[in-house]
Formats: sequence, structure tokens, C-alpha cells
Amino acid sequence: MATVAVATPYRAPRTERAKSIRRHVLIYLGLLPFLGLAVFPIFWMLVTALKQEPDLYRMDVVPFWFHLPPTWKNFDFLFHRTSYGDWIVNTMAIAFWVSAITLLTAVPAGYALARLRLPFAENLGIGIFMTYLVPGIILFLPLARVVSTLELQDSWWSLVAVYPTITIPFCTWLLMGFFKTVPFEIEEAAMVDGCGQLGALLRVVLPVSWPGLITAVIFSFTLSMQDFLYALAFVSVSDQKPVPLGVATELIRGDVYFWGSLMAGALLVGVPVAIVYNLFLDKFISGITGAAIK
Amino acid sequence: MSQIAAGGGPSPGAPATVAVGGRVRDISWWRTPTARRYLFGYTLLAPAVLYVALLVGIPFVFSLYLAVSDASVGVPVARFVGLENFKAALENSAFWTAVRNTVVFTLGAGIMKGLLGTALAFLLIQPFKGRRVVRALVVIPFTLPIAVSVLGWKWMFDSQFSVINWALSRLNLIGAYGSPEWPVWLGQPALALFSVMFVNVWRGFPFSAIVLMAGMTSIPPEIIDAGKVDGATFLQRFRKIIVPMIAPILFIGSAFDTVFTLSDLSIVYLLTNGGPDGATEILPTLAYNTGIKAGALGRGAAISLSLFPLLLPLMILLLRTLRRRQY
Amino acid sequence: MLDPRFSSERPHVSRRGFLRLTGAGVAGGALVTMLDARKAPAQLKGTSLRILMWSHFVPAYDTWLDDFAKKWGEKTGVKVRMDHIPHLELPARYAAEFAAGAGHDLIYFVGQILTGQYYRNLVDLSDLAEGLAKKYGAWMPASKSAGQVGGAWYGVPDFFISIPVLWRKDLLESVGVNNPDTWDDLRKAARLLKPKGHPTGMQFSHCNDANHNWRSLLYCFGGKETDPSGQNLTLDSKETREALRFAKALYDEGMTPEVFSWDDASDNRYLASGVACWVHDAISAFRTTQDTNPKVFEQTYVLPEAKGPVAHLNMGEPNVWAIWKFSKNVPAAKEFIQTIADHQKEAMEASRGYNMPFLKNQYTKPMPGLGGDAKLSALQEQDKITVFFGYPGPMTPAAQEVLTTFIVPDMFTRVARGADIEETMKWGMGEIRRIYTKHKAG
Repeated sequence: MATVAVATPYRAPRTERAKSIRRHVLIYLGLLPFLGLAVFPIFWMLVTALKQEPDLYRMDVVPFWFHLPPTWKNFDFLFHRTSYGDWIVNTMAIAFWVSAITLLTAVPAGYALARLRLPFAENLGIGIFMTYLVPGIILFLPLARVVSTLELQDSWWSLVAVYPTITIPFCTWLLMGFFKTVPFEIEEAAMVDGCGQLGALLRVVLPVSWPGLITAVIFSFTLSMQDFLYALAFVSVSDQKPVPLGVATELIRGDVYFWGSLMAGALLVGVPVAIVYNLFLDKFISGITGAAIK
Repeated sequence: MSQIAAGGGPSPGAPATVAVGGRVRDISWWRTPTARRYLFGYTLLAPAVLYVALLVGIPFVFSLYLAVSDASVGVPVARFVGLENFKAALENSAFWTAVRNTVVFTLGAGIMKGLLGTALAFLLIQPFKGRRVVRALVVIPFTLPIAVSVLGWKWMFDSQFSVINWALSRLNLIGAYGSPEWPVWLGQPALALFSVMFVNVWRGFPFSAIVLMAGMTSIPPEIIDAGKVDGATFLQRFRKIIVPMIAPILFIGSAFDTVFTLSDLSIVYLLTNGGPDGATEILPTLAYNTGIKAGALGRGAAISLSLFPLLLPLMILLLRTLRRRQY
Repeated sequence: MLDPRFSSERPHVSRRGFLRLTGAGVAGGALVTMLDARKAPAQLKGTSLRILMWSHFVPAYDTWLDDFAKKWGEKTGVKVRMDHIPHLELPARYAAEFAAGAGHDLIYFVGQILTGQYYRNLVDLSDLAEGLAKKYGAWMPASKSAGQVGGAWYGVPDFFISIPVLWRKDLLESVGVNNPDTWDDLRKAARLLKPKGHPTGMQFSHCNDANHNWRSLLYCFGGKETDPSGQNLTLDSKETREALRFAKALYDEGMTPEVFSWDDASDNRYLASGVACWVHDAISAFRTTQDTNPKVFEQTYVLPEAKGPVAHLNMGEPNVWAIWKFSKNVPAAKEFIQTIADHQKEAMEASRGYNMPFLKNQYTKPMPGLGGDAKLSALQEQDKITVFFGYPGPMTPAAQEVLTTFIVPDMFTRVARGADIEETMKWGMGEIRRIYTKHKAG
């Protein structure tokens, strides 16, 4: 709220430069608590990941820094003594296929619900959303049956089959909102030019909707990294696990936590995803804006 | 309910196609643009609806069946027991504690995320140097896999080696280790509930901020400027102009967030498993411990579905209102 | 050796043959010779066996076990795959495998003993279990509760985990408690040492250790969960009240509020960091301390269990083999159980004193892993004081639900926090009775 005062020019105007500096200082001051909140745990995880084990259990010295030389041992451990390499590959492959399935199903569904004035469209849309109210803690049992019927037990493909149940409803809603923002005129123009309805969708509507599509992909990507229970129930073989499951099941051994490797394992997937996220953030924002406001 | 709607997905289209045979000769209804649109529309819808119906709808019916049966993990054939399981849940004091905590957790975390997200979004839509870097940094909590970042928090909340306590203690805000003024984040009932909520907020507030940024950037600057000209103070502008404009996005954001929070097991499960003495027990953990770990599937299903009858109408109402507004 | 992880290689038996293992505990070569002693049925050749295991608290043991399985596989011609997951997550996996009707051939119960829930779907292993009893003397009495349902063995006990008292000799002697033997001694030590910055701690929270520790204390004070049939509740007694009262005093005098937030690993760290004067925890805590803080370890001693005013009982944690009926390779699974039972000695050695055997002859002194260690040798009579949850009744599904919903530790937590004992008793009994009624109705 500090910026409030800034936005309201109360005092006599100073030079532009001074004003800009003052504005920046206040914005940074306002951001500081947020940055601290968001970044401190990450910083702490990084320090933990690079610390030697005995260095973790000392309260007599400043814990924020190293008192024994930093070590790559925890990262080394991840790659050489666990299947972490496989976990990353699996996670990426799962995210890729889940995104693909989600787009292939949610794009047509969102378009149909938004544009084709179908009877029951509203109820169908709401029905799809309502699947979120079904608790996963029970759902995983019947799904186990499905997974084994498909002969996907203990393979990461089982998660490719299951995660779209989480991503499709969300992305359908998102895209439904988004398609509404595309002006009818451009679609009609395309149809006049001889495209069918499908052609109009593919050639005109999709190209202008790509912020929405990117948003859907980013969502699919993040949502498929948040699950733990399905992965636990369907995948028990080490080299088939995705990162969250692998890290949480193989780096805690009974009453010993391998803190350093745990943190290293989390950061190695979380931070790159954050960077990618940020690259697309503007598109993402316009994606959501389109989806929800119009 | 939802499944009935979803499962019935293809059928509303079906009468149209079925009717085709009967009507072909007289009016060729199926050749009308409307019929073709319907056919096209339901074809587009089918993959999503079928996917969801098969993988959520049918399993959901199965869990409904569990909730009214005396099923346990090792007994495939169960008897119908009516609402016995729900009755058992209602008689259980742990259930009511869990309901209370679930409501406090969801609402409390939701409000905190809303407030923090709004403030952050407001800061982030200002143009300033280093905006991209700041944005990249604040979204990290949202992109880390939850199961793992929770373990990071577990380490930070450790009763002995908590880095938070170390810092607070050096600042003389709390007592030394071993003194009663040394907070035990996951051990004192109110503090424990706050701590698990806090992790949820930490993870969720960047996302709230992004959603709200989207809302705020969609407000045409002229409107805000008009407000300024009229002499409205910031708070007035905020309340009268910004809030109403971003209300829809706020609603849909919180609707999604609420359902995700309600079903999120991992934070509580990994941090406290509901302890101490039920202080952080929420419905998902109670259902999981009863239904899966202790194997009483029927009662577990009943506990996990207990909020369903309340949430369903609420969500339908919310979504309908939202959609109406959009036109 | 400061980092416990690097005392052993990360075990792996995976499809890609990720094995780069060095045998721990027992030299691999010797093992092969020992395995040779037993002739495996020829028809096993070319089959495959999938085993689901927990992650053992002593990582070196998993290394040994994975290696053992690999060698066994080579010897018998069975393609073995051993998957490890944390013990807390096993029940979810079993529920999923059962629902799917497919999964691992040979499974393992620990923490949650689900023999009672799943026995209809488990292979009757009575021949195997009775054969073992004949070969190695009788099963200790508590093993029936872990493996039997209605007189038939649906699970074969592998070993149990003891949760003894680990105490600091230097600290306790400094306050005149030279050889702690009873709960009163421990209370006195904690009372005198807390002001000096060395409190004790037992978990008042929702974790496995909380279930164990408070039950051990409860049983030592004469509290009983049910009658021996496991059908009728007997927890509401003056002995239970006495145990609750004692726990409250122990907390007030000797612990800090930290204990309300603890998980299974916290007391390990408490001991290893040199703070605790004593903890009630498995040998893994002893080993962690050995690996991370040799100075404290030197002063850490083991008491099999403190004596209570009424009894001297320790609640152990059984580990049990079982075979799904839908298993695709029952003969190989049975053969594996038999072989590992025949190698209990090496297993104990590899577990660094953590695994406690179930069979009488295996208590011949000196016991492997224990007898040679002055601090651990007292554990060689652990079979005499070990009981399991539900005591004196068996581990029925009802007792299991009481365990997983943490009612007993919650009762102790309430009282420690200052709740009235009568109120707490009423609450706890209400919850427990509700659970038992449900199970009877089913």
C-alpha cells in the first residue's frame, strides 16, 4: 500500500528523475516482504542443498551461510545413487503427454461450449467442472482398476492416463472463456471464404487464441507436478517415478531425512519451470484475462 | 450429480441423430445448419466428456457406492448400509474437529491469499526496472512440486533446528531454545493450524497475484483516470472501480482455489498428519487415515464426500452467476 | 562417516539393472555359498517375482537385502524385482493393488499390519510358518497376532523392531541416576536434567512413534486395550489413568512443548544433537547418532525397556511377509520367504542390531548383531517383553483403526496439555467404542 502515496501527487513536483527514483524505492520497499516470503524458503532450500550434513544441525552459528565448505555431494547423490535422471525424464514426458491430451480434448470442448450454442452446454460445462469436487483420496482405488486394465501399472504412462482428469476440466473452462473473446466476425469471414466450421476453428480461431493455449499448457504442466497420491498408488518402480514421488519416497528413509538431496531434487525441477513460466507470463496473463473477464 | 450431467453428455445429442432416421424423408432436419452445428458441437465435446466421464464419473459412482456400504479394503463384496457411514461420521468428534479445521483452513488461507495476492498484483502492474526478475522470483513457490516444498517447510518448522526461530531469537523477538517463548510451529494447536495454512498461502499467493494482475490489466486506464479526475481517493477508487471490475476473475480464481485447497492432502499429511490431538486434522487426512490406512473404505468415502452436498449447489450457483455475467 | 547415507550405497534393484552395489554386512561371495546350501525347485527357473518392500530404517540393510534378492534370483533363475517405498505409504499402495487385482507377488506389512483386513485375499501360508516353527523352535507368542487369522497363517513374521530406551550415561550419572531401570528412574533423570538443558522427549503427535511409545508406557503401567480375545474393551481402568497421570508429570517435569510437533525422526535428531538425556526410540536412532555424533554415541546406552509399576512390556513393530492370492508366482514367493528365514542370521547382522527375530532358537546367545556389542547385548531377551498393539488382544482391524486414528496418543496429549483425566478417558473410550462397534457390526 506504500505505493498509494506515490500515485497521488501531493507534494510539489520535483524533477522527473527524482520522482522516478522515489517511485522505484517505494515499489521496491513494497515488494520486499513479498520477495522475502517467496524467495527466502527457496534460498534456504538452496543453502541446505549445498551444505554438508553436520553443518545442518548447528544452531550456534548463523545458519544462513556455510561453516563447512559447500558441497555438491547432495546433487551428486541424486544423480548417482538414485534414479533422479529417470525421474526428470519421466516428469517431462508425463507433462508433455498430459498437455497434449489436454489440448486435444479441451480445445474442441471449450470451443463447442463457448461458440456453438448447444443445448445443455451450460450444464455440461458445469458438470465437467464439478468433477473437482470428487475427492481423489477415494477415486484412486477405482482408477487403480482402470490403470491395471490398461496394463499400465508401475509405468509412468499410467499417470499420463490419469492426470488429464485433473487438467481437462480446468482447461476446458479456461479455453471456453477464451474463445468467447474471439470476435465472431473473423470466424464468419473465414466461413464466407469457404472454410467449414472446423476449418474456421483451425485456421482462424486457434491462431489468435494462442495465449489461451499456452496458458492451458502451463496449467497442465504445473498441475501434473502437484500430484502425489496417484503416483504413489500406481507407480512403485524406482525408474518409472516422477520427481515429486521419487524425491518424497526415496530421500526419506524412515526416521532419516536426506534434507540436502531433498531440497536439491526440488529445486532442480522447480526453478527451471519457474523460468519458463516467467517467459510466458505475459501471454499467460492475457490468457486468463481473456478467459475470465469477457 | 455432476456425473449425471457429464455422463449424459452425448445423449442430448443422440436424440437429434436418432431422430434423423425418422425425419430424413420429410424435412431432412439433419441437413439444416442447426443440426449440423449440433452434430459438430457434440463431436467436439465428446472426447473431453468421455474422458472425464470414464475416469471420474464411473469411479465417482463407485465411491458413492462405497460411502453407503460397509466396504473395507480387503472385502470386495460389501453390504448396503444406507447412511450408516455418514451417521458414524457425524457421531465422531474427530469428524467435527476436521470440519471446523477444514473450514478455517480453506477460508483463512483463501482470505490471506486474496489480500497478499491483491497487494502484490497491484505492485507488479506498476512499471519499474527489474519487473521481470521480480516476477520470476515470486512465482517459484507455485512451480515447485508441492510434496517436496512442504518437506522444505517441515525443515524450516523443525522444533529444534528451525531457521525461522533462529532468526527471531537473534532479533530477540522470541526466547531462546528450550524456553517457553520458543514457538513450536507444528506443536501448539493454534500455531500448527496457522502453519499449515501458511504453507498453503505461501504456495498459492503468487498464483492469486497472477490472476489478479490479469484482472487489473484488463481495466481500461481511462476508467481509473476518470476516477482520479473525480477526486476519488485511492481506497475509493479501489473499492468502487477496481474491485467490481475484477470481481468475476476473483470469483473464478477463488472457486478453483477453494476446490484445490479442499482436496489437498499433502500439506497437512506431510507436516503434522493432523496432530497434535487433531489440531490440524482436515477432512482429507481423516478420510485417508480412516479409509485407506485403517482400511474402513466405506467410512473413509463418507467422510471425504461429506462436504459434497454443500459444495455442489454452491459451486453450481457460483458458476451460473459467473456465466450469466459474462454475456 | 559423518553422513549416514554414504556408509552404504543407495540400493537399487530395478529393471535397468541399476545395480552398483557393494555387499554390506556380509560379503557377497559367502552369501552365494550359503544360498547354494538350499536346493530351489527347478520349476522356478525362468519365472519372475515382484516384491514390495518398505525402506528399512537402516539403509545398509536394504543394500544387503537387494543384494540378497539379486543373488537368490541368479541362483534360482527367477527374475526378481524389489521395489521399496516408505512404510507409511504401503497401505495406500496395497489398497490400490487390491482394487486393481494386480501388483506385487510378495508383499510386506510393517507399521500397519493388514493381515486381518486382507486375509481373505492372501495365500494361506500355514505350511511354511509351521515348518519354520519346527525348524527354529516355536514362534514367540506375539507372532500369532501378526500372522494368524482364525488359526491359519496368512502372514509369515519376518522380524520385529524393538523400541527401547536410549539413554546418555554421562548425563544421567551426573544427576545420580546410575543405572536407570524403571520409568520412575527415567522421570527423575528428566526432571533433574531438564533445567540443565537436557530434557527428554516422546512424541505427543500423529506419528508412528507416538503410537508406540505411549503404548509401551501404558502397558508397563498395567493398562490393557482389550481382553485377550480382542473383542471387549478394557482400556477404561485405573491403570490407564495412572499411566496418563505419570505421562503428564513426565511431560511437565522433563519435556518441552517441542514434543507436540515431533515426527518419527525428531527424537533421532534430539538424541544425535546431544540435547536429549534419553529417548524412547528404535536402534536406528542409535545408529544415526553413531554416524553423525560419535561423542554423544560413546555415552549412549540401551535399556530394553523401563519397568513400570505393574509390568515390563515393550510394544514392538512386527514385519510380516504375505502373498496376494492374485500373485502370479506363489511358489517363488514362498521359496523366497523360506530362504530369507533361513538367512535370518545374516539379516540381523546386516541390520546392525535392528531386526529382532520371531523364532525361539534365534534367541540363542550370542545373537548376531547384538551379542558382540556390549551396549546391545541386553536386547537378547527382547522376545520376553515384546507385545504388539491391541495388547493383550490380537492386532484386529478394529485395533488397527484405533492405531491409525491416533486415539491413544491423543489421550496422552490431552492430559499432558492439562485436560481432565476423567474427561479424556470418556472421550477416548467413546471414540474407541465407536470403532469397535462398527467392526463388530461388519
